[in-house]
Amino acid sequence: MTFRCKLLFHSFNIAVFYAKWYSKKMDLPSLGSLLGSFGVYLCLFVALYFEVFLLLSFLERQPEKKTYLKPKYYPTVAMIVPCYNEERTLMQTVASLLELEYPKEKLSILIIDDGSKDGTRALGEDLAAAHEAVHFFHKENGGKYTALNFGIEHTTAEIVGCLDADSFVAKDALIEAVKKMESEPATMAITPAMKVYRPRKALELMQAVEYTFGIFYKKMFDNLSAVNVLPGPFSLYRREVFAKIGLFKHAHNTEDMEIAFRMHANGLKIVNAHTAFVYTTVPSTVRALIKQRTRWSQGFLQNTRDYSYMLFNPRFGNFGMLVLPFSLVAFFAGLYTALYALTRLGYTLWSKVADLHATGVPLQVTTQLSWFYINTNMMLFIILVVLAGTLTAIVLGKRIADTEVTLKAMACYFALFGFVAPVWLLRAAWGAALARESKWR
Amino acid sequence: MAWQRYFLAFLITAAIFGTAFYIASRIDSERIAAIRSTEENISIDILSSETQFELLGNLDCETISKNPVLSDELNTLASQLQVAEQNLGDNNAEVIQLKQQYSLLEIKDYVLLQSITQKCGLKPVYILYFYSNAGDCADCSRMGDVLTYLRQTYPGLRVYAFDYHLDLSALDTLKSLDKLNGQLPALVINNRPAVYGFQNLEQMEALIPELKTLATTTAATSTASTSSQ
Repeated sequence: MTFRCKLLFHSFNIAVFYAKWYSKKMDLPSLGSLLGSFGVYLCLFVALYFEVFLLLSFLERQPEKKTYLKPKYYPTVAMIVPCYNEERTLMQTVASLLELEYPKEKLSILIIDDGSKDGTRALGEDLAAAHEAVHFFHKENGGKYTALNFGIEHTTAEIVGCLDADSFVAKDALIEAVKKMESEPATMAITPAMKVYRPRKALELMQAVEYTFGIFYKKMFDNLSAVNVLPGPFSLYRREVFAKIGLFKHAHNTEDMEIAFRMHANGLKIVNAHTAFVYTTVPSTVRALIKQRTRWSQGFLQNTRDYSYMLFNPRFGNFGMLVLPFSLVAFFAGLYTALYALTRLGYTLWSKVADLHATGVPLQVTTQLSWFYINTNMMLFIILVVLAGTLTAIVLGKRIADTEVTLKAMACYFALFGFVAPVWLLRAAWGAALARESKWR
Repeated sequence: MAWQRYFLAFLITAAIFGTAFYIASRIDSERIAAIRSTEENISIDILSSETQFELLGNLDCETISKNPVLSDELNTLASQLQVAEQNLGDNNAEVIQLKQQYSLLEIKDYVLLQSITQKCGLKPVYILYFYSNAGDCADCSRMGDVLTYLRQTYPGLRVYAFDYHLDLSALDTLKSLDKLNGQLPALVINNRPAVYGFQNLEQMEALIPELKTLATTTAATSTASTSSQ
């Protein structure tokens, strides 16, 4: 151990020593531990309240089963595929669109190349030459929202859809979405049930569970008329939406979220078609995942700030009163809980090391098997209830969208999510605080 | 807006919190009851030994040396009290009462040990350890760790841990008999003059050369003990 290390070790040792001594002397739990546990209880209360609210919503209105009925009317549909360096997956994305069970004369596919530097342009041109329904456009790079707006301006279809070039639709997804629009005529936009495309690695399996969980959440938000995002993979809009509220905006690189906020602000209805399935590829490395989620989370914070007038405003229904405030609280609660747990763990480990060093007592493993020694404080029971609620949401999401969730995937979710999520929450909070824009790519 | 749902969700959430609080409290009550029961058992054991000692006046010293009168349950009780103290707090009235009773049992156990030692010529190794949870002994936690380890390593070593500030007249008498000056942690080893301040494992082994005469155990399994431990 170098002199500096020793000095640091002993300084911290002394600090820990006096911190313990002072808190004991004051005969009070330390301010940190008091605030810490109170904060965790508050976070747990909010999390549990939200889970209970959604489960009540589920009991009141359960998602209807898929039917084999056909729509009475087939509106014209333009599917916009914005792409930037997507030569790897574009072919499969367009192929899945071409295989949609929908009248061919009513469906057009617009590939908008946002200034790609790889072979996307050549591939797009080939696809357009080979298929009548496919139209290819190349433009200067300007960001995803500019590609979407470019597509909207180049179509007159009644329904405008978006599909990210790394996602693939089920054959009946469009029919299911159109049927949903037909059954609820006030619908202005529609979201699908998103599943992870062929999850294999641990991180992908973790996301597969997360997306299944998301299917339940999205459906319950639909029950509450409070769908909070129109994701890039396969969201559909009635054309008049853009006439009423304008085109996509940059919106801190989360245009799909901002347009949902704007639609709520203007009283336009968004519904979820849980029988319309779309499969999306997800990041398979920690670095890529954190980058993607940082963009989403930071975009959420910045958009919420832009639309802060909707928070706790009953004029915007359950979106303003529940979903938006809860999402914001969940962001900070997640961050708080993670930092609290990390600090406690770090402090405990360091104290243990310092104690072992000072006492000379060898490290021992405690094996108290009696019930007496099991930690049974109130927090433990509440955490168990919250976890049970999470598991219920996953099981319901699995049932709603007939998704396969393996035990291995569940293990990956519970083992990994708590470690990686705080990283992007922290980065997003930092980025939003500094008003630094995240990158689309 | 379905305000009833907001209210109902709040009620259910509050009810779950209430239930969790109730369950945790019930388990704590069960813990207190378990400690009380252990204390009663020890009390009966000690009373029985004292009565036997007084009745016969001449115990079978060979039996005693093989099967010590001192109850091993005191060690279990110490770790149970520590858990109760952590869950319910140092200032909980029930915890204080249990600690008083525990300390009293320890003193009786110690007195009985002295009597048997004189009668049978035993050479026990024991430590009276005085600690504090009141914030005036930052070293007590680490001292407790060292003593716990020693007690686990040498099952024949008796450690009697006392909260220095516990309101108990018998404890005050013990403190005055040992001429303690208030410095903590304080250790009285085999009736020798008190040693003050933190002693690490190496220093403790040097302070108690009698440890060499005690049998050791290879697997130390518990880290619990009383004492601000």
